[in-house]
Formats: sequence, structure tokens, C-alpha cells
Amino acid sequence: MKFAGWISGVAAAVVVAAGAITYAVADGDDSGMKAPAADSADAGFARDMAVHHQQAVEMSYIVRDRTKNEEVRRLAYDIAQTQANQRGMMLGWLDLWELPKVSAEEPMAWMDMSGMPSAGDGSLMPGMATTAQMESLGKLDGKAAEIRYLQLMYAHHMGGVHMAKGCVERCQVGVERRLAQGMVQAQESEMQLITDLLKKRGAKPQT
Amino acid sequence: MGSAKKTESQSRKARIEEMRRAEQTRERRNRILTITASVIVVAGLVAGGAFLINSQSDDKDSASGDSKSTSGKFVTGKDGVKTWSTKLTQNHVTKDVKYPMEPPVGGDHNQVWMNCNGDVYTKAIKNVNAVHSLEHGAVWVTYNSKASEADVKTLSEKVKKTPYTLMSPVEDQKDPIMLSAWGHQRTVTSASDPAAAKFFETYVQGKQTPEPGAACTNGLSQ
Repeated sequence: MKFAGWISGVAAAVVVAAGAITYAVADGDDSGMKAPAADSADAGFARDMAVHHQQAVEMSYIVRDRTKNEEVRRLAYDIAQTQANQRGMMLGWLDLWELPKVSAEEPMAWMDMSGMPSAGDGSLMPGMATTAQMESLGKLDGKAAEIRYLQLMYAHHMGGVHMAKGCVERCQVGVERRLAQGMVQAQESEMQLITDLLKKRGAKPQT
Repeated sequence: MGSAKKTESQSRKARIEEMRRAEQTRERRNRILTITASVIVVAGLVAGGAFLINSQSDDKDSASGDSKSTSGKFVTGKDGVKTWSTKLTQNHVTKDVKYPMEPPVGGDHNQVWMNCNGDVYTKAIKNVNAVHSLEHGAVWVTYNSKASEADVKTLSEKVKKTPYTLMSPVEDQKDPIMLSAWGHQRTVTSASDPAAAKFFETYVQGKQTPEPGAACTNGLSQ
């Protein structure tokens, strides 16, 4: 019995080590890698997250036009700059892989989430605001705009973190998985900041 | 004459060949190192697994338990770059943070980043803001009063020409000139130390960047 246990222990150790090596190699060096398939998680995440990010950029531009508050304007600047650049990275990868920017599949199919219920027109993926919500943000001013922006962005980040975790689990391309992991950390940290900013304004995240 | 030229070009060719071979050897050595390390990991796991089963212990592997950033330490690589051994936290905080290294290479930080678009600061800046710049992929050049005026001048010229870098004095650092990126740090002997150029190449918006694409503008300035 003890011998059988020993054998299975060794086998398990070898499997774990093999996994670790594959992970290490995949994480470090993508050279010589073949382009992912159009229905891969790598392509799906790049496509969908580029769209998801675009709305965050747009939302951030809107609030910067609606308030003079420095804290919120700076957060919006940070999000707009970061997500516009990251979106460029993802679209650039699709170009290099010679893959289309759209898919016949529904959004989120790469995460087995096609056909998910939508919050309304314009909300294509988890956490995305509807077209109506975006329009109403553009009509608010000052503190009201800040609160609405912070609440919409909190939900947007929550959906974004969920998607980024999906890529961390499924993506094969090291540089992409690394970017997704960075998004998880950065957006979770920003959600904490957003909660604090909402609290200062006597409001709470809405999800 | 002609043959002298020929031998010269031949010897140049030979030199190029030689350099190329050296490069390949280096790559091969790195690959061998990776494989060797992997083999050691496998051996370690096998030995560890055997030990665990022999002792019939159900305890979780405590060695891999995650630890706080403050419990890490610098490990010096063969290229002379020190790498922080544990994962550095990234929370936005309003209070001051006590970092376990100086200058800090990561950890919790202020919501506002220090502008790092080739910004040279002649007065000390706050660590909590500079760490946020490192999170955005910046390299931070720091010096104390032991650094020569000429070196400080040369480095500030270099920084001014390099987006995603910043420079400021840090009086209590242990060496005259130090370079920091998120999770990494090194000392250079002078502004012309080739290790400085190498550090810039590797870490300005490098792989270590926790938040790729984030800005070095519209933050705090002096």
C-alpha cells in the first residue's frame, strides 16, 4: 500500500513539474509560436476585451467633460490612457495573427458565455453599460456625474476582471496572459479606490 | 595589396562568425540553464512527494504559502540586477507607506503617479508617488550627494530624452547612483556604465510592468 502511494506521489509530482515547466516556457517566450485560431480564447479575449475597453475609454472622456473634480478626472485619465493603449495591443495582436476583429460567434463565446442575458442595448459583455446609461451620464454634471461614472465603472471593472480571469485560465499566449493578469490586479485595486471615492460622496457601488 | 584586403575582410567575416557563435552559445547556455532548473524542480518535487508520503503527512506545503511583500528580499541575478523575491502589492492608499527597500521597487502606493515622461526632479519626491510610476512601467533613476555632478548631468540628459523614466535625489540610498523598476533594482558605477543602458532597455515599459499601457503624464509634478 505504501509502495503504491509512493508511486502515485511520484507520478503526481512529475505531472505538476511538467505543468510548471510548460507554464514557465509559455510565459517567457512566445517566439516561434503559431498564431492562435479564430475560435481560441486568445483571439476571443483580444476581440472582446478591445470592445469592453473601448467603452471604458469613452465613459472616461465623458466624465472629464462633466466635472472639474481633480480626483475623478485623474482616475478617468488613468483609465482612458491605460485602456486605450491596452486595446491597441490587443488589436495589434489580432492584426499580427491575421485574424478578424469580429466573429460570427456571439461575444464571450470563448468563455462559454455566449447567449448571456444583456443588461440592454449596448451592453454586449459583462459589466458593460447600456447605450441609455451612457447617454444619461453625458447629461449629468458635477457630483451627480462623478457618482454615476464611478458606479458604472465599478460594474464595468467587475465584468472586466471576470473576463481577464477567463483569459488567465484559458489563454495560451504568454504575453496576453500576462496582460490579462495585470488587468485583474489593476482593476481590482481600482475598484477599491472607486469604492472609497463613492463613499466620500455618500454613495455606494451598484451591481 | 589585394590579398591583404581579402585577408582583412576574411578576418572580419571570421570575427562576425565568432560573435554569432558566441551569441548562439549564450542562448544555448540559457536554454540548458532552464532545462537544468526544470530537472532540479522535478527532482525536488519527486523527493518532496516521496518524503510527504513516507511521513504520511497531510500538511499543506508551507514553503509555497504566499507571503506579504514586506517579507521578501532582493536576490541578485548574474547580470547584477536585484529582483525582489515576493509578489509586491498594488493597492492605492492615501497614507504614507514604509517600504522594505530604499528606493522602493513596488508595493502599495498613492493614487497619483509621479510624472515619468522623462521628468527630472531636482528635489526629493515622495516614494508613494514614485512607486505608482514604476507600476506604469517607468524606470526611476536616483542619486545621492556622493554621485558626481557630471554623472548626474549626463543621466538627467538621458532621462529627459527617454519617456517612461524619471529621476530624483534619494539621499539615504546606499549607493551613489541606483536604477529601479517594478520589482528590480541595480547600482551603476557611473552614467556611462553599460549596465545603465541595458537596464533602460530591459525595464522601460518592460515585461515586469504590472499595468502596461498606463500613462506617465497628467500625474504629480514638482
